[in-house]
Amino acid sequence: MAAANPAEKSKSQATPIDLLNYDTAKLYTHVHPILLLSLYFYSFRSIVADPISTLSRTLLPLGVLQIAYVAICLPPTGSKDVVVEKRKPGEKKKAAPGKLESGINGKIIPAFLSLILSTLAATPLLFGILILFGAPITTHIFETGLCGAHIAFLSTIPLVYVHGVDGEKWKEIVGLLLPIDEVYGCMIGTMFGAWMGAVPIPLDWDREWQKWPITIVTGAYIGFAVGKLLGGTLLKGKRIKFE
Amino acid sequence: MARLQVSLLALANLLIPVAILVFATGFFPYKPFMPGLATYEDLGWEGKMAWTKEPDPKFDKLVFMVVDALRSDFVFSKESGMAFVQSLIRSGSAIPFTAHATSPTITMPRVKAITTGSIPSFLDVILNFAESDTTSTLATQDTWLAQLKAREGGKLVMYGDDTWLKLFPGFFERADGTSSFFVSDFTEVDNNVTRHVPDELLNSDWDAMIMHYLGLDHIGHKTGPKGPNMVPKQKEMDGIVRQIYEAIENEEHLLNTLFVLCGDHGMNDGGNHGGSTPGETSPALVFMSPKIKKITEAMERKSPIEPKANFEYYRIIEQSDIAPTLAGLMGYPVPKNNLGVFIEEFLDLWDDAADRVRLLLHNARQIKKIVEATFPNLSFSDEFVEDMHCEGSLNSGQELACKWQDIVRAMSSVASLHPQIRVEYIYNFCRTAQNVMSSTASNYNVSRLVLGTSLAFLSFAFTLASLYRRLRDVSASGIFYTLTLVLYCILMFASSYVEEEHNFWYWATSLWFFYLFISDSREQWFKNFIFHPAIMLLFLHRIARRWNQTGQKYAGADDIAHSIIFLGRNSIVLWSLVGATYMDIVLRLAQHVARSLATFISDQSVGEAESTEGHRFMATIAILPLGITAFVFKMAFTARDAPELVLGLNEELLAWLDSTALVEMARMVFGGIALTASWIASAEWKRAVNKKKGRGNGDFAIALFDLAILFLMTQTKAQNIPLYLLFRVQLFFLSKSRSLSTISIRDSNVQLVGYLNLTPLAITLTTLLLTQSAFFILGNSNAISSIDLSNSYNGVSGFNITVVGTLVFLSNWAGPVYWSLAGITLLGSHGKTQRYIDEGELDNRDWIKKEREHLDRLVRQEKREGEMRSGWAGWEEHVALLTLFVGASLVSVMTACTVLRQHLFVWSVFSPKFLYGMAWSVAWHFGITVGLGALWWWVGGW
Repeated sequence: MAAANPAEKSKSQATPIDLLNYDTAKLYTHVHPILLLSLYFYSFRSIVADPISTLSRTLLPLGVLQIAYVAICLPPTGSKDVVVEKRKPGEKKKAAPGKLESGINGKIIPAFLSLILSTLAATPLLFGILILFGAPITTHIFETGLCGAHIAFLSTIPLVYVHGVDGEKWKEIVGLLLPIDEVYGCMIGTMFGAWMGAVPIPLDWDREWQKWPITIVTGAYIGFAVGKLLGGTLLKGKRIKFE
Repeated sequence: MARLQVSLLALANLLIPVAILVFATGFFPYKPFMPGLATYEDLGWEGKMAWTKEPDPKFDKLVFMVVDALRSDFVFSKESGMAFVQSLIRSGSAIPFTAHATSPTITMPRVKAITTGSIPSFLDVILNFAESDTTSTLATQDTWLAQLKAREGGKLVMYGDDTWLKLFPGFFERADGTSSFFVSDFTEVDNNVTRHVPDELLNSDWDAMIMHYLGLDHIGHKTGPKGPNMVPKQKEMDGIVRQIYEAIENEEHLLNTLFVLCGDHGMNDGGNHGGSTPGETSPALVFMSPKIKKITEAMERKSPIEPKANFEYYRIIEQSDIAPTLAGLMGYPVPKNNLGVFIEEFLDLWDDAADRVRLLLHNARQIKKIVEATFPNLSFSDEFVEDMHCEGSLNSGQELACKWQDIVRAMSSVASLHPQIRVEYIYNFCRTAQNVMSSTASNYNVSRLVLGTSLAFLSFAFTLASLYRRLRDVSASGIFYTLTLVLYCILMFASSYVEEEHNFWYWATSLWFFYLFISDSREQWFKNFIFHPAIMLLFLHRIARRWNQTGQKYAGADDIAHSIIFLGRNSIVLWSLVGATYMDIVLRLAQHVARSLATFISDQSVGEAESTEGHRFMATIAILPLGITAFVFKMAFTARDAPELVLGLNEELLAWLDSTALVEMARMVFGGIALTASWIASAEWKRAVNKKKGRGNGDFAIALFDLAILFLMTQTKAQNIPLYLLFRVQLFFLSKSRSLSTISIRDSNVQLVGYLNLTPLAITLTTLLLTQSAFFILGNSNAISSIDLSNSYNGVSGFNITVVGTLVFLSNWAGPVYWSLAGITLLGSHGKTQRYIDEGELDNRDWIKKEREHLDRLVRQEKREGEMRSGWAGWEEHVALLTLFVGASLVSVMTACTVLRQHLFVWSVFSPKFLYGMAWSVAWHFGITVGLGALWWWVGGW
């Protein structure tokens, strides 16, 4: 996989998502991953001790935090902010038009939509993918399910919030055709992190945290933070190129 | 590829075996052994100690009973069935030990350790599988068997495992060897030994009777240490011990008989052995005789007891200590290559302290000779050495020299010195020497290790140079390949990842298939994405990886092959799947034969002969006997090798299967395969010669591939055969060519199934990932204990090292061979029906333009594929990439072995990995990827 400039020919005409243009958004977007990781590592001990109950308990705060993040920082699907006018480099950004018009109502529906879709569609889908990638199938069903839910909340809530449920869009998302931005970085980072999370499992360290699915979930959280950071800064606007 | 690149690649391939050879000779050095039998020598200090004659032997006869895999807890724990042995321990007539066995814990090296007192090199693992090899016999070495036989009128008898007969040819007066051919045999192997016992106990002519029982080991392999047959078997062994012990008590001629019961190695929780887990290295050892009571009075005589740690019962001694102890007790010189130390408890059998010192000094002098040979620069003389530095940090050689000096000083001091002080000093030297000499560090030839690694690196560099042009086009597949290579090389340095290597391949393959899905979705969205070929591949891969649990960490966990789905009454499910797999292959072969019939029967001038219904019918009739024979062979073999897998079958059928001749049947299958191959070959040759224009479809490569699968199935355990069906479906989803597939897809359906359009590089990478995965999917691992020998004698009645070796390799590497050949057919798009679209005939009207473009593309693609098949460039690139992987993995395995040679796990993890690496790079890469692959590619171009 090579990142290349958006100048490359591509089917997708989409442009990277920008944050809402006000200070709270710019601040909170950096606070958010810190909050998430703190929440996760605060409850880590208890996750190791009792994965099922802790992972289900932390799901609600995770959802709330994610919703807060998308509501504060991201333009909801269908909003004008998604389309960003091309600027010359160095040109000053115009003040965000009508951030108040879109208002609360414009945010509530996409937020709910993203929460519901992440729970009802993405979680089962990720559960299936986890199984396909080698999650145990005869045991640890709840662990795998909760692991899928955490990954879904991390990766899908922001994506649904900004992109909605447009089928074509989602085909591009799966095909990794969209230009990289913060939201897309979250998704790719979470998935990749979860996959990398399998690495420590075979080690003979005999640690409690090596058990399923703790490393996967940990990998997903770290991947989320890294992907978000890179997607929002260094790799922003680049496209993933395969050949 | 230019000529330079080809020669670089060839050079790289030739360097691989050279590198391995150089490295192996440095890593497993051939230990020079001292020939000839030891004799009693002057000890010095005779006058001072008032020694006149050798200490009296305490026993004159020996009964040596080895129970294969008799782990310490099988005798000493509360769960043990050996109540009589435990009662002997309590009464003081038996002294129990746990005899630490060094890795590799397999029978032949262990027997070597027990009899010579030396610590066998890892090279013996290879020799263990090449048992007939005469260089590995102990006929010329000094052992307690040789010493006893050399005595006047010395006679030995032997019953049980024929390893002993191979190790000691011509040693035994009377012998009856049993070979462990079918692991399912729990009773016959042992009855074959036991039936000789009563008669031999009445014979008074032998000096030593050796028995080696295999049944307990078989039970372990089959059902694990907690299997239902384990305790009954222990009781059976206990009964034999009682029979012998009571004879010793009652028979006049057995009065001075020492009775030793021991295991050669233990077993792990899965019932296998070979590695160095506590279970595998802790066999039991019991010395029994009524005379022993003299020395056990002061000892604690509790039994059964709790282990101190994992399987540590009573005192831990080294397995090699048996040889010098027997030497002292039976009264003969300590064998020359011995590194064992006389067991301290037995010293009390001699009342005169001077005798004890004398006995030990013999032991110490004999070990000193080996030490001297190892450290030629240090002084081990019997004189005082004034300027010896024994303070501060010493290396192991200096430490030994100092300890020898301590002996010299103690021996030379006043005669009235308490003898126990001398004993202490001698033990101090002997035990240190044992540790130093058996620790591996002193044995490596580091310069050879470095040279071997450098040669492997050179091979890697040459391959890289030959691929120079390719390196410039960066692609996702290329990056994936590089990352796989780099990660694999890093993982080889971590012992857990070596043990759990399968996880790496499963992990990487999953991502690769998912990548194929994403990459294909970029081109064109597949309507029903759940049934996308790449997702189907991933799904099938997920099933396959659960088929056999492998590795160390979760050894013995549930898997499909050993689950309730196939066992007992349900074995009918297994056999239906196996039957379906055979059916599939028969139908495929029938197609190939039908085509050959058409070629022979039809008119030559027509050129391409198409097979008709009639041909196919005749072909099916012709090929059916081969298929049925192969299937019946598999059933009959399984009925004997793994009876639990045929329980669900009809009893009359089983009785009939039991009466079949396995060797002949296997030969019929192999002969049938060879015959079919040559028949099809002649037809395809004729076709190729008659062909007026264009190249063939490579059908012959497919025919050979299908025949090879039939052969591989014959070499595979029954519960793994359904995997071939699964692999076939994977191959179907991977291949562009529809005629490879079971389901015949009409053109209209192609859209429905869809296919992956893999680049040659992607095909090579898929081949690499699937060959490696398939090795583990079939149940192998990087542990010596997982080598499956059950199919190594198919069609072989005697022992032929080449044939058996080849069969062992093919039965363990069946999965990799499958995918290696499958990769070639994928690469060459063999067997794909060509359309012969004449570009000039195509209509140019607008409405058909799109269709025309499509066909145009097909024409170009087919042309390209045809060219690819006929030339060698595509194949060379494929081989170059695989060589690059083999070279890199060798470099990393060798570096790991060199750097970590002092590591605790070097013998249990890294050296087995190197042995597997040898097999991968010589037998698999050289023999299969390059050798067979070239053959396939050549016939594919006909």
